[in-house]
Amino acid sequence: MNLKYCVNICVLFTTLLVFGQENLYTSLTIPSGLKADANAVIRLNEVSIIIESETEMHIQGRRIITVMNSAGERHIGANVPYDPNTKIKDLKVSVFDARGNLIDKIKENDFKDVSAVEGGTLYSDSRVKYLEYTAIKYPYTIEFTYDVVDENTAFIKSFVPVNSYLLSAETCRYTITYPSDLNIKTKAKNFDGISLEKEEKPGEIHFEAKNIKAFKYEDFSPGLFDIAPMVLVRSTEFQLEGVQTKVENWNDFGKWMYHDLIKDTHDLPEATKNKIRELVKDEPNDRAKAKKIYEYVQNKTRYIGVQVGIGGWKPFNASEVDALGYGDCKGLTNYTLALLDAVGIKSNYTVVYAKSSQRNFEHDFASMQGNHAILNIPMEGEDVWLECTSQKLPFGFIGDFTDDRDVLVITSEGAQIKRTKKYTVEENLQTIKAQYEVLSDGGIQAQLKVVSKGIQYDDKYSLEVETQRELDKAYKERWSYINRLAIENIHIENNKTDIEFIEAISFQAGGYAKKIGDRMLLTLNAVNRNTYIPDRYRNRKWPLKVSRGFKDVDEIEIKLPEGYQIEAKPENILIENKFGSYKALLETKDEKTLVYKREFTIVDGEFPKEDYSAFRDFHKKVAQLDNSKIALIKTTP
Amino acid sequence: MRIFITCLTLLLTITGFSQDYKFGKVSKEELQEAIHPIDSSASAAFLYKNRRTHFEYFPQDGFKAITEVHERIKIYNQEGFEYATKQILLYKSRNNEEEVNGLKAYTYNLIDGKIIEDKLDKKAVFNTEASKYRNEEKFTMPNIKNGCVIEYRYKIVSPFISNIDEYVFQEDIPIKKLEAIFEAPEYFVYKKNIKGYLNVTPQTERKNDKFIYHGVTNNDAITARDRERYTKEINFVTNKDAYELSDIPALKEEPYVNNIDNYRSGVKYELSYTQYPNSTVDYYSTTWEDVVKSIYDSSNFGGELDNTSYFKKDVEALIGSVSDPVKRAYLIFDYVKSRMTWNNYHSVYTNKGVKGAYKDHVGNVAEINLMLTSMLRYAGLRAYPVLVSTRSHGVPLFPTREGYNYVVSCVRFPEGDMLLDATSKYAMPNILPTKTLNWQGRMISEHGGSTLIDLYPSEKSKNNIFMMANLQEDGVLKGGYRSMKTNHNALDFRDSYIGVNLDDYLERLENSYDGMEISDYKVVNDLDLSKPVSESYKFVKESQADVIGDKIYFSPMFFLRSSENPFKLENRAYPVDFAYPSETNYKIIITIPEGYQIESVPEPVALMLPDDLGVFKYNILAQGKNVQLAVEAHVNQSVITPEYYAALKAYFSQLVEKQGEQIVLSKT
Repeated sequence: MNLKYCVNICVLFTTLLVFGQENLYTSLTIPSGLKADANAVIRLNEVSIIIESETEMHIQGRRIITVMNSAGERHIGANVPYDPNTKIKDLKVSVFDARGNLIDKIKENDFKDVSAVEGGTLYSDSRVKYLEYTAIKYPYTIEFTYDVVDENTAFIKSFVPVNSYLLSAETCRYTITYPSDLNIKTKAKNFDGISLEKEEKPGEIHFEAKNIKAFKYEDFSPGLFDIAPMVLVRSTEFQLEGVQTKVENWNDFGKWMYHDLIKDTHDLPEATKNKIRELVKDEPNDRAKAKKIYEYVQNKTRYIGVQVGIGGWKPFNASEVDALGYGDCKGLTNYTLALLDAVGIKSNYTVVYAKSSQRNFEHDFASMQGNHAILNIPMEGEDVWLECTSQKLPFGFIGDFTDDRDVLVITSEGAQIKRTKKYTVEENLQTIKAQYEVLSDGGIQAQLKVVSKGIQYDDKYSLEVETQRELDKAYKERWSYINRLAIENIHIENNKTDIEFIEAISFQAGGYAKKIGDRMLLTLNAVNRNTYIPDRYRNRKWPLKVSRGFKDVDEIEIKLPEGYQIEAKPENILIENKFGSYKALLETKDEKTLVYKREFTIVDGEFPKEDYSAFRDFHKKVAQLDNSKIALIKTTP
Repeated sequence: MRIFITCLTLLLTITGFSQDYKFGKVSKEELQEAIHPIDSSASAAFLYKNRRTHFEYFPQDGFKAITEVHERIKIYNQEGFEYATKQILLYKSRNNEEEVNGLKAYTYNLIDGKIIEDKLDKKAVFNTEASKYRNEEKFTMPNIKNGCVIEYRYKIVSPFISNIDEYVFQEDIPIKKLEAIFEAPEYFVYKKNIKGYLNVTPQTERKNDKFIYHGVTNNDAITARDRERYTKEINFVTNKDAYELSDIPALKEEPYVNNIDNYRSGVKYELSYTQYPNSTVDYYSTTWEDVVKSIYDSSNFGGELDNTSYFKKDVEALIGSVSDPVKRAYLIFDYVKSRMTWNNYHSVYTNKGVKGAYKDHVGNVAEINLMLTSMLRYAGLRAYPVLVSTRSHGVPLFPTREGYNYVVSCVRFPEGDMLLDATSKYAMPNILPTKTLNWQGRMISEHGGSTLIDLYPSEKSKNNIFMMANLQEDGVLKGGYRSMKTNHNALDFRDSYIGVNLDDYLERLENSYDGMEISDYKVVNDLDLSKPVSESYKFVKESQADVIGDKIYFSPMFFLRSSENPFKLENRAYPVDFAYPSETNYKIIITIPEGYQIESVPEPVALMLPDDLGVFKYNILAQGKNVQLAVEAHVNQSVITPEYYAALKAYFSQLVEKQGEQIVLSKT
């Protein structure tokens, strides 16, 4: 053995030693399983919650994260929101290169400090300090330590090892320490296949999770909230902006919300009450009265977000909304509630997670949840739900923003979890009746009427207020597969009583049917082609979830051009499977007229991941069938 | 008497029709108006928009700019409700800030024939510190309903006399009546820059004014007691510009516009110089030469070019043995690109300085490209900084210091110029990032003089596509695909490909073709910027032909064809900006399934845009079991003016049509 070789071994050995000490600052030590699909790897995330009392909570943390590429920057997480009740005591960042050498240090003063106002919000007293760092080279590692004090103990940070797609985690620890007079409850979710260690002793609970692989987003999969592992944490005794309470279950929670946050805000002026009573006095029943009041609120108010104090949890007073004509979701819901109350209709303030992907309230875990407020009116044994921030939605229609999920309905006696309205396949119906004439140059002249209901109504009702120019654009997008489309006439009717959206449109499209020598090729389905095919995944990981089903029924009368006859036409087809069905028929009405009938249904439901490719194949097949053509040939004179 | 009555009636009629724009004098007619008389699609309109900026003398602080704003807005429907929320941006520096005072605002509604007014409550006005340099004052009006009118007025007091906000004469909603006044004392000379399509000329006037000056004599005295205070009345002349416009149409967004604000009417007052009595002139800017000089003279620009000490050793080691000037330029360009990372900040000025940036390996645009220029000069090359305004920053139509926000480098060789931007890792000489392709740049010579140079590339960005495919009887297409991209096409490809997770990239690529199956994926020359980047793969794609009866129909461009005309609007007011000229070539060889013969193929065709702006050629040859297709599409100009819009729209429509034309196969 020569000397050089020996030296090499020594170097290797020292390097290994360093690895042995688990140097988390170098990307060389990342376990290989955590690199797959990860734009960033959390090497260590230690969160320590120290509750000194109901009015003082410290949140301290140390997060070491290796950023693999530019898309991983957003997972660094070196941003700290704060407000008048939250104080940042310390923020520090160190940056290490791929080999683990310290290359930069950043102090709190170098963090950017900006107002944390979201879109649609006029004012919020929340602010955020965040790190702005330019990476020189990937991968690199950031160590972020922070120390924050909060006067509220209503919101205790959950233990969420990975809160994002394409992010993996090596070691995550969470410790909460608390005085003996507090009761801390926890609830673990989505830990299938991931080990969670829990240690508990008086006044302290500790969690640890290791080696969590990165999740990848997939079409038609459950929301991240339903797949990412997490432990929810709450204290049964807490305080929110000086209001202390004890909450064992949802009923206690509801009582507290009702009595401490909501009850005092129903202060409508007498004049307004009288006006409202006058407004509805001729209405035959409660439902008609409630509808009238909802429309009154829609005409009188608009949504403006203002988040000040009580963590944005206390609604504005009804009198204030009455005077200003605006409010946020809480204020407008509460205002509608107060107006209904003035005419003796009982309704309930309701907290919900609003987003098109449904997220439920945890039945058995009464903590601060939800991000939006709607109104619940129990009426003749059924629940009517009102979205009070919309000036446009019909009475009782909530759409995909808050449909079909468990929400918290708050009453003076407490609270209960209820499920909001589900829009079924049959309700989400779109019917098209159309006629088009094929001209001898291949152009078509078409008239159609589209009637949409349910979620399909929700998809379209905003068209009502678009200008002609925007509508023209919208229809050219809808039928983007028709090249020379010229929209001639648009008539839109928003029938709010029956909740139907009716579009009557006429258009022409030059060169729609392709002329090839003596032939003409005509794609039968001119007005409702399904061109959407869900993404293909090499290895599908998550189950298939179709949140909402729908049904399309089309009947199209086609007038054939003079001097042509049918040479070939597609077979009639019927496909039925667990995902839905597809039917296309071509009937001959008379010598020159065909009738094309099509029905396409997708049902909602959850299916194992193995079903995804069949689901995708079904869409692919439909896209292909929607492209079916007939061949016409010139008649010999 | 009769004549008198007629006159009176006439007078009354006139006043009846003419609007009263005094604050608070909102009329019933204004409230009753259901739609805008000229633009029925308007969701709201400025009934009146007034701004006056003038200067007041404050004994403590000297002159300040006072901007008085008075706006009256009609809200026709819910889509216009956003105009009921007003956001006032206020600048601040370390020790000075702008402030708003005298805010008064009302909402007017017509209820049962009576005008009801609601006052904005002071409590509903929110002041937020948006960032280190900006405060925001925000409010929203009470009781907004369809048909209401809102009106507000306020004053902004600003210590920043060299930064007067642009006067905006055109909004996204129509303006019925606009009045604007700018008055500056003779000590401040402003240059006015008018932009947009409206015909705007102010009425100018000179008027006499005065202020009381509080002075101190014996300024050299050591103790305050020895100084004597005095006041003095000073007369001066004010220059006034007044604008009056009516029925200004709304500005509407269109696709392929580089920046709609380039076409928005307005006027910007730019401080040229200040001259107080008995003082010397302080220049800010007047001409482009002055602008360039003032940028060049700044220690954060010109000074940075002269500093060579920090890189000397490294650059000498880099180019020591190389004498060819072009090679030297490449070496230095590559060196700066690999050493430096751009921190996403635009500026023509350095922030921490070139030296600090060099040490940290991170810098803003000026740091990186001035450092580059300086190194190139050090290597004996004729390198010059070029000032650029990015697309989002708008076209610099007038000489202003804020007109430019970006700087690149130009090296002059006898064979021609080489434009360089080292902020992008995959940038190549003469291929500037698309965001910087915005008309012309201004090249600064050694002594601060300047010339305009064209930024749009003259060389076309190419994409050569070669595809060989077998069509099966069931409509499945199997084959191989290869593309070679140059210039901007290559830059865009490298930006989207290099450094991303390959599995992820492939999945996205497959799904961009509706889940086509791709194998044997290969990229060549991704890191060798001197060569075209090439991408190749094998594919299987279903449903590529229609089988009807005993015939098969398919478009020979298959999934490569463009199926949508990008130009959907019937008319267009603004130029179409493609950013760079391009050339796409397709060579496609198709083998048809066994048992079929070619019955017909589309006709060859050549389409031309007028004045050689573009050309499309389609050639097809059928032989036995094979079809050979050659298609070329050229866009010869980066920017196409709106008079060609109709031709352009028709051209793209025909192009889409032709690419969709089908081949017919029949059973043998």
